Parts: sequence; C-alpha cells; structure tokens
Amino acid sequence: MTHAAQPLMLIGAVLFGLGVIGFLMRRNLIIMFLSTEVMFQGVLLNLVGFGAIGGNLQGQAFALFVLVIAAVEAGLGLGIVVMLYRRKGTLDAEAWATLRG
Amino acid sequence: MDTSVLIYLTFGLAALGALAVYMAAPRGGQARRIPAIALGIAAIVSFAWLVLQRHTGSAGSKVALTVLAVLSVGGAVRVITHPKPVYSALYFVLVALSSATLVLLVGAEFLWVAIVAVYAGAILVTYLFVIMLAQQSDVSAQDLSGIEPDALSAQPFQGSLGIPRSGPLDYDRDAREPLAAVFAGFVLMAITAGLLLNHAWPATRAGAAVEDNTFGLGKILLADNAVALELAGVLLLVAMVGAIAIARKRVVADVTTQHEDELPPGEIGRHVKPF
Repeated sequence: MTHAAQPLMLIGAVLFGLGVIGFLMRRNLIIMFLSTEVMFQGVLLNLVGFGAIGGNLQGQAFALFVLVIAAVEAGLGLGIVVMLYRRKGTLDAEAWATLRG
Repeated sequence: MDTSVLIYLTFGLAALGALAVYMAAPRGGQARRIPAIALGIAAIVSFAWLVLQRHTGSAGSKVALTVLAVLSVGGAVRVITHPKPVYSALYFVLVALSSATLVLLVGAEFLWVAIVAVYAGAILVTYLFVIMLAQQSDVSAQDLSGIEPDALSAQPFQGSLGIPRSGPLDYDRDAREPLAAVFAGFVLMAITAGLLLNHAWPATRAGAAVEDNTFGLGKILLADNAVALELAGVLLLVAMVGAIAIARKRVVADVTTQHEDELPPGEIGRHVKPF
C-alpha cells in the first residue's frame, strides 16, 4: 500500500520543521516540550512511510518504539519542568539564562 | 509534473509558509492576523496540492489525504503560534489524531489505535495536568501605594490590584527570535521535502504482507525485535522510577524569588548568586 507513502513523508518533514520552529521560537517551557512532541509526530509519519515503501512492517514496529520513547520523555520532561517551575516561580525559559557574559 | 519544477515550487512554498508563520508568531501580544491567516491558508492549500502530486491512489484516498494534511499542518502551526498553552495542547490533540489517521492510509491499524491511545490519551492528558499545575495568576508587583491607572490598557491596572491577569503572560506573548527560528525551520523543511521529492522511490515490493496488521506487527515485534521490546519495557520501568524520584525531591524556591516579580521579564534569574 505505497500509494500514500511519499505524501506521508512530506507531511512528516513539514511537521518536523514546524516542531523545530516552535522549539526555537517559544519561551514557555511547556510549549517547547509540546514542540518536541510535534517533532515526534513528524518522525513517526516518516518511519511509517519508509516502512510502507519497504513492504514490511519494520517501520511500524520502530514507530511503536518511538511512541514509547515519546511517552517516557514527556513524563520525565514534564516532571523536570514542574520542578523548575517550583524553583523559579515562572515557566519562562529565559529565567534560566543566567550564563550571560 | 517534472521533479525539478516540483522542487522549485517546494522552496517557493517554504518561503510563503515562512512568511505566514513569521507573521503569525506571537509578538507584543498581537500578531498581524489577517495577512497571517491569508498567507497561511494559501501556504497550506499549496502544500496539500504538492502532497497530492505524489499520491498514486484512489480518489477517496486523495480526499482523505488532503483533509488530513490540512488539519495536521494547520494544527501544528497553531500549536507553535498560539499564545495560550492550553490551546496549544488542544491543537496538538488535533495534530496527533490527524497523524494517527494518516498512518491508517498506509494500513497501519494498530499504530492508529496506539497513537490515539498513547498520544491523545496519555501524553496530552499529562500535559494538560502540568499546564493546570503550573498556571500562574500573574500578579504584577507594582507598589499599591503608587497606583497609576494605565490609560493604554487595563491589564497592568488589573494586575496591580491583585486580580489575576486574564491575558497571556509576557513570556507567552513574545516569540524569541521568530525570524531566525522560522528561517532555520523552513530551510530544513524545504531541503528535506526537496530530497524526498527528488529521490527515486522504488515501487511496491512484491510479497507485501496481506495478513492482519496487528498479527503481523506482533510477529515482527516478537520474532525480530524481541530485545528491543524488552528494552522498551525496562525503559518504561526506569522512567517510572525516575519520575517518582524527581517528584519526591523537595525543592526550595530560590531566595531571590520573592523579589523576582519586581524585575522585568528579561531580568528574572539574572541576579542569582553563583553559590
């Protein structure tokens, strides 16, 4: 079923790029993490597209592992964000920009 | 259509999209809405057209692909440009659901359910919990004895009376370096899309699996990827232990936090003593 494989990969590339933009552009820590989740979506689509072209299900198996890693990263990352918020009282990423020369 | 023409169109489309996202980025509380929305719609529609150029399936599949491409890309743009975190999380639910349906287009039924259950179900609920936990009522620390009603906007006045500010917070309202971020992201996007379009992808391999998707996936996971499966389980366990260890740690707020709200946003954290 490769008829949608290339469109899938194109959409995956665009989602990844948008995630990169969101990560660089926003100052809110939670939105930065959400942008990495958008990047994960792009990678997921790309993996499934590659798997469809290859003709086997290895792409989808790898995508499942990516899903596991995304869930783990979301849990731990948000835990750290909560601790950072408790320490500084703000979700601003610029609050941690203390290494200024 | 000729591939090189498609690639030139991709770069042009990336430039259009870059302009749209740059205008839609939150800046000073008010992005320039009408041109951003118009350019954004033009960019997304052109992108849907570009995606359809490489689609070789039935008409129903084309319709589905168009709708899903528009939904996922539009949702992702709103995730990164919306000033309020809760709305970003909800738009991300839209992105997750549309990417789940996109993988359904290539026959990945189990992955469809897995993405909906894990992403939209678990990860987004966690994000919403954390957003609610870390929500701030932004009480501006203007001295109450010297209140000057700000004639330009009611919000500073609201904050100085201790009323929680209802608009987005200052660090949500301003994007940092939107020009550089949009340039970097769209150059990356254009190059990746150009490479994908340029590559001569092979046609369907003979002997593609016709069995049930879940069954085939289970077979592959247990037969070829057994070690990875076990490692994923160990990773989840370690992450759970780590999250509990992080959450139990008692955090002492920085000594300077009580004076933090007197500082303008760019100065928060700048005066922390090193030791």
